[in-house]
Amino acid sequence: MRALVLLWSLGPLLWQLRTSLLPPDALVGQGPTAWTLENYRLVLSGDPPLWASLRNSGLVGLGTTLLTLSLALPCAYALQRHRAGLLGWGVGAVLLAASLFPTVLLFLGLLEMARSLHLANSLTALCLPYTALALPLAILILRAAIAALPPELEDAARLEGLALGQRLRSVLLPLLAPALASTAILTFLASWNEYPIALTWISRVDRLTLPTAMARLAGSSVFTVPYGAFAAATVLGSLPLLLLVLVAQRWIISGLTQGAVKG
Amino acid sequence: MPPLPPVPRFLRRLLTVLAAALLLLLLPAAAREASSASAEITVRVLLPAPFHDATTRELPQFHRDHPGVNLELVRGPLDTDAIQDLAIGSLLLGDTPFDIMMMDVSWMPLFTAAGWLSPLEPYLGAGMLAAMEPGARPGNSFDGHLWRMPYSGDTGLLFWRTDLMPLPPRTTDELVRISRDLQRSGRVRWGYLWQGRQYEGLSCVMLEVIHAFGGRWWNPASGRTELDRPSALQAARWLEDLVKEGITPPSVAGFAENEALQQFAAGEAAFLRNWPYAWKVIENGGGPVVGHVGVAPVVVAPGQEAGGTLGTWGFSLLRGSAHPREAAEAIRWLTGPEMQRSLALNEGYAPTWTALYEDEALQKGAPLLAVQRQALAAGPLLRPPTPLYAQLSDVMQRQANAMITGQSDAVSAMSAAQARSDALIRAMTGTPR
Amino acid sequence: MIPLLAVDLLLMLPALLLLGVVFLLPLLRDAWLSLHASTVVTGLMAVPNGAANWWRLFDDARFRQDAFQTVRFTGVSVALELVLGLGLALLLHRPGRGRALLRALVLLPWALPTTVMALGWRWILNDPHGPLNGLLQAVGLPTFGFLTTPSTTWLAVVVADVWKTTPFVALLLLAGLQSIPVDLVEALQLEGAGRLTILRRLTLPLLAPWIALALLFRIAQSLGVFDLIQVLTGGGPAGSTESLAMYAYRQSLRFLDFGYGATVLMATFLLLLLPGVIWLLLQNRLPRRTA
Repeated sequence: MRALVLLWSLGPLLWQLRTSLLPPDALVGQGPTAWTLENYRLVLSGDPPLWASLRNSGLVGLGTTLLTLSLALPCAYALQRHRAGLLGWGVGAVLLAASLFPTVLLFLGLLEMARSLHLANSLTALCLPYTALALPLAILILRAAIAALPPELEDAARLEGLALGQRLRSVLLPLLAPALASTAILTFLASWNEYPIALTWISRVDRLTLPTAMARLAGSSVFTVPYGAFAAATVLGSLPLLLLVLVAQRWIISGLTQGAVKG
Repeated sequence: MPPLPPVPRFLRRLLTVLAAALLLLLLPAAAREASSASAEITVRVLLPAPFHDATTRELPQFHRDHPGVNLELVRGPLDTDAIQDLAIGSLLLGDTPFDIMMMDVSWMPLFTAAGWLSPLEPYLGAGMLAAMEPGARPGNSFDGHLWRMPYSGDTGLLFWRTDLMPLPPRTTDELVRISRDLQRSGRVRWGYLWQGRQYEGLSCVMLEVIHAFGGRWWNPASGRTELDRPSALQAARWLEDLVKEGITPPSVAGFAENEALQQFAAGEAAFLRNWPYAWKVIENGGGPVVGHVGVAPVVVAPGQEAGGTLGTWGFSLLRGSAHPREAAEAIRWLTGPEMQRSLALNEGYAPTWTALYEDEALQKGAPLLAVQRQALAAGPLLRPPTPLYAQLSDVMQRQANAMITGQSDAVSAMSAAQARSDALIRAMTGTPR
Repeated sequence: MIPLLAVDLLLMLPALLLLGVVFLLPLLRDAWLSLHASTVVTGLMAVPNGAANWWRLFDDARFRQDAFQTVRFTGVSVALELVLGLGLALLLHRPGRGRALLRALVLLPWALPTTVMALGWRWILNDPHGPLNGLLQAVGLPTFGFLTTPSTTWLAVVVADVWKTTPFVALLLLAGLQSIPVDLVEALQLEGAGRLTILRRLTLPLLAPWIALALLFRIAQSLGVFDLIQVLTGGGPAGSTESLAMYAYRQSLRFLDFGYGATVLMATFLLLLLPGVIWLLLQNRLPRRTA
């Protein structure tokens, strides 16, 4: 049973790996099956090289994560204190609705916004909508984590005369580290994978994020149908995430469930 | 709810290292942006991948002749639809990063109506097209302005196998007969390959075939389509029958230019409909048909006039370019005789300048010239020159693809295409200004 | 404690402001645009045209077709994801060696960018060179146009979506399973209940809120499906896989018909509200099981 599940989950990925290591002729059944790294050389030295979009995605992911955490934490902290009240309930409901919302429906309005505010083709500006998309889940996760803290803790710290900033640094942050890690990883994943907004905001080839670069690759075959190169690109695009998931699987799972359910 | 696991130290360290690595990646990018701020004027051109590669070869010459101007060619996707999305996307955003855009002839009405282009005649002078073959001129001027300079005079062509027949077919009937004979005798698996995927290439095929049966897609006088006329129905039925009778493989429903080309180059078919570039690709590809490929005008129904779809690309100056004068000079060079000579020799693209067709040295190096000139002289077909073309083409692609895949038949596909085109035109032009 | 409230509001303000700008403004703008003509014919200026876009929508066979296709895709893929996700969650819940690694590997498809694996599926389903057709040929069957057959291609899209999002559903349900007290299960086992009985009488009822949540999330996301179809099929063949979001995208970015594109977006949004409303109604009717 487990073997079957693994085959289903990993089969398509392993097939991509195999495809990426074969020369184009072998793929269409015309040449010998000789292993080659040529496809990787092709996508890495291509114009624009794939590593540029990997870098862009990494930068946007990092920026988005930092911005999300710094906006979500104060919001969750304040929201938690009004959990029982109408304000807390209302904001919570709005956040849940927003976390369910399919973001593709926003592309037209966001496109016009990018045009009128001159935000197009800026990776920094792209962090803003991405942060907004990540915020609902981030706030819900952090609120749940803050709710789970013993309430006496902060009172004790306050009694000891610690200022707000100190309380935050020496008491709150260490205790919230796991939840912050969860939030950070999920935010990074979401922004790494986002497609429709990047598609409409970025038109400069050297600023493309990974998903848009991949989609563009799909329409960029010159003369032959370079599935080997496609496959090499998918492998390269998957590797960072493979590492992330292997290392941080537990935070992903607990973050998803905390935010979704306690929220 | 399971409690959240604590963050072990190695993970914190890992994250720190990752963040540092990303910052290091960021630095060279920032440094590069700072260093590019020199006195040189940069003119950026967006063009599809194959044209980018073909043009880059000549770029050093431009830089020798134009000191102080840095012409930067930006490589876009190949697929017409993909590059159209990119082009429109970058223009919609304002602050377009490009000065010049390479434009398919079918985009011109939409892009000029949207007000995205600058007229070229103030920079290049009037009468730029006068020295070109008459067949290469349409699709570049609207409302008394020159909006585009054509890069090539490409039209749809018929590729045929010289090892399987002495002469190419001229009519649709001949093509079917030859295909059948060859398939029956087992000398070739398929007869005729073309582009049947739901994309712009299918519209080019439909335009050609409708014309080949004496019909027309668009009536410029009435501003309406004529897809439910008998000739259009006949045309659609011919394509439908090609697939039904096995002259064309059913997989043509997923074919763009390259898939069709690949199968033809592998020796699996007698005929291929494609653009001029295909010849060089086949000849350089080293497949089984090298040296056995002839090129001819596309087939027409008996008694009809020949005509291939005009599939030319060209360069337009974008409104909002910071250096329109330099950009216009770049366009002059990009579409000039020297560039076209190189393209004809190396890529097999059709020139637009009459002088090049009469150049004997070039005729030797580019054996397709005679057929290409013949196709241009036959009055190549312009796709409906209306800003609504993108929608009309989309309607056509859906219906024609439905017919090819057997979802509907020629009659219902064409009448549906006509009805939806009508509804579309009503909805678009009925709105108050 | 008014000052405290003010401080709290101030703390929340940046986040809520950004949310408002990114979520609310575009929706309001779409609603406004849907009452205007904004096309190349109007020079891309928004000109009020009453409900003309909405009348056009009601008369638009392609909109109806795309709505049907989107709902069909949602229904079938979400149902499959739920059933498979439940099975997967039960499997992952069972103790055993290497469970953490198994969970990580199973999670992987969900974590990858949709466009990346859509490209992968395009190759796997390729006719005739993909591995699936290779299998068919190996057992002596003719190849099949998985992506070029209008009547079945939507199923290929469903398979790719199920592959990618089942892990997500499984994760949510796994968390639900972990919240079920072990002693309850043991008590039932002592009564001699079989595994199926436990599943029916204990697990499923306690899992209900989690299932509802997974359903709600997946339905909302599936109704807005875009990335996968854009890369895998481009809406073809013969428009048989086009979704509402793709139609809206095409209307605006390829046809430059922003008024109508916004109308299609608004219609999709209204369609999306339906499951939300149903959910709210159900929530009020059912007593809260877990609180």
